[in-house]
Amino acid sequence: MPQLEASVAINFHSEAYRDAYSRINAIVIEGEHEANENYIRLAELLPERKEQLLGLAKMERRHQKGFEACGRNLSVTPDSEFARQFFSRLHQNFQDAAAQGKIATCQLIQALVIECFAIAAYNIYIPVADDFARKITEGVVKDEYTHLNFGEEWLKENYEASKAELEAANRQNLPIVWQMLNQVEDDAHVLGMDKDALVEDFMIQYGEALSHIGFSNRDVMRLSAMGLAAA
Amino acid sequence: MFGLIGHLTSLEHAQSVAKELGYPEYADQGLDFWCSAPPQIVDDITVTSVTGQKIWGKYVESCFLPEMLATRRIKAATRKIINAMAHAQKHGINITALGGFSSIIFENFNLNQIQQVRNVTLEFERFTTGNTHTAYIICRQVEQASAKLGIELSKAAIAVCGATGDIGSAICRWLSDRTDVADLYLIARNQERLQELQAELGRGKMMGLEEALPQADIVVWVASMPKGVEIDPLVLKQPCLLIDGGYPKNLATQIQCSGVHVLNGGIVEHSLDIDWKIMRIVNMDVPARQLFACFAESMLLEFENWYTNFSWGRNRITVEKMDQIGQVSVKHGFRPLLV
Repeated sequence: MPQLEASVAINFHSEAYRDAYSRINAIVIEGEHEANENYIRLAELLPERKEQLLGLAKMERRHQKGFEACGRNLSVTPDSEFARQFFSRLHQNFQDAAAQGKIATCQLIQALVIECFAIAAYNIYIPVADDFARKITEGVVKDEYTHLNFGEEWLKENYEASKAELEAANRQNLPIVWQMLNQVEDDAHVLGMDKDALVEDFMIQYGEALSHIGFSNRDVMRLSAMGLAAA
Repeated sequence: MFGLIGHLTSLEHAQSVAKELGYPEYADQGLDFWCSAPPQIVDDITVTSVTGQKIWGKYVESCFLPEMLATRRIKAATRKIINAMAHAQKHGINITALGGFSSIIFENFNLNQIQQVRNVTLEFERFTTGNTHTAYIICRQVEQASAKLGIELSKAAIAVCGATGDIGSAICRWLSDRTDVADLYLIARNQERLQELQAELGRGKMMGLEEALPQADIVVWVASMPKGVEIDPLVLKQPCLLIDGGYPKNLATQIQCSGVHVLNGGIVEHSLDIDWKIMRIVNMDVPARQLFACFAESMLLEFENWYTNFSWGRNRITVEKMDQIGQVSVKHGFRPLLV
């Protein structure tokens, strides 16, 4: 039986680490920033849930500040331009859906795709993070489950009416997620995070969410793997 | 509710099963894809005991493949097992057997250190390796199949290959304690563990495989390796009973020689049909009735409401525990597969 290799200690202050961190940290900050804006936009579209959504938006703002502190702690300047580009397609798809009043699509992009991706990435990051970032991230990931739950519950209540729209939104957005992941594979690896672990955790979280909403096991397998092989 | 965590025997096998079950996203994908694939519940199972009692269970496909070990994708391999366990627990399964390589990976890589999986705290008492029942069934196979073939245990030598493993050591204890077998040949790679076992048994000869095979009347193969070992049937005694309890099964297809009787070890037959699809997929001869004894252990624990990790840790299986699981195995209608 082969043996597990001892994990190599990470030097959080090496140039290579800080270089990779400048992009990953920027993505996380940008992700939280966009989440904040997306929940504010959703609050406009769902006035009856306004208070709750503004509460979620506020939490995202707090997360953003936490992750900015993580960058400062390692004296890293986040590459914001890279991060904006990184999210641009999902950002645009969200804006388009919101403009057309497609709430289910907005929920899928923000509350399912982005939140599941964040939960997967944060959970994989925690064991390899520096002490400062670990504490911040542990706090954040607990909140993200609440956000995911909000989206799940809304989509569950509106499952029959949104099913076709969700299928289309999944087809449109999931391949983008795999491409985004490929884009940061090397940087994530420098931080001690493996791509196959990220994909697996995302698929578990996303699959659980789809199943909770009402999709069958077979649908979940099909939807959560969509576009992965081609990415 | 009981659960079974299983996996397929190779990448090729996984691809063909995915195709057959109608999951095109999973068929035709390479090892990289399977290294990222999440666990899935792919079968709902109903088992009826000969007592009339009915229980229900689920089959969790972990998406682990032996190629992950062979290509040193160890992290992926360990993730598959831990994630499948979290999946089983999240679905409210009370007692789940870790089938095939699952329990070996769990033990070998000390996965009991990983109790927190995302937002799930694994409750290890909900899982069993199933090794007590497997060891019991292999011992019964030794006793019953040798009688059928006219091999008298009081004059026979039994070689146990993989003797220091959890199942192997339990088999040695039983054979030493409950049978009048003339000789026990103990074969394993780790000499220190072999010496400990020999001291515990107070008997048995430590031997190399090549030395033991020509002298053994019965060979019990319980070493599990990502790739099988070829045995030259010409070196074996005739008659010889060869019980292949390794996983995946590999000896039966290799050895075809009159006088050498190969038996799939650790397999039970149920007296009534089981309603499931999965044993057809793992190529059992009688898919509705035959299954791995480790899987049957979780069914037995469910029948008896023994919600506990009955088989857990390494080398803790006593003959008393084997008796205990053996009694309920018979009670509910399971019997060892024979030649």
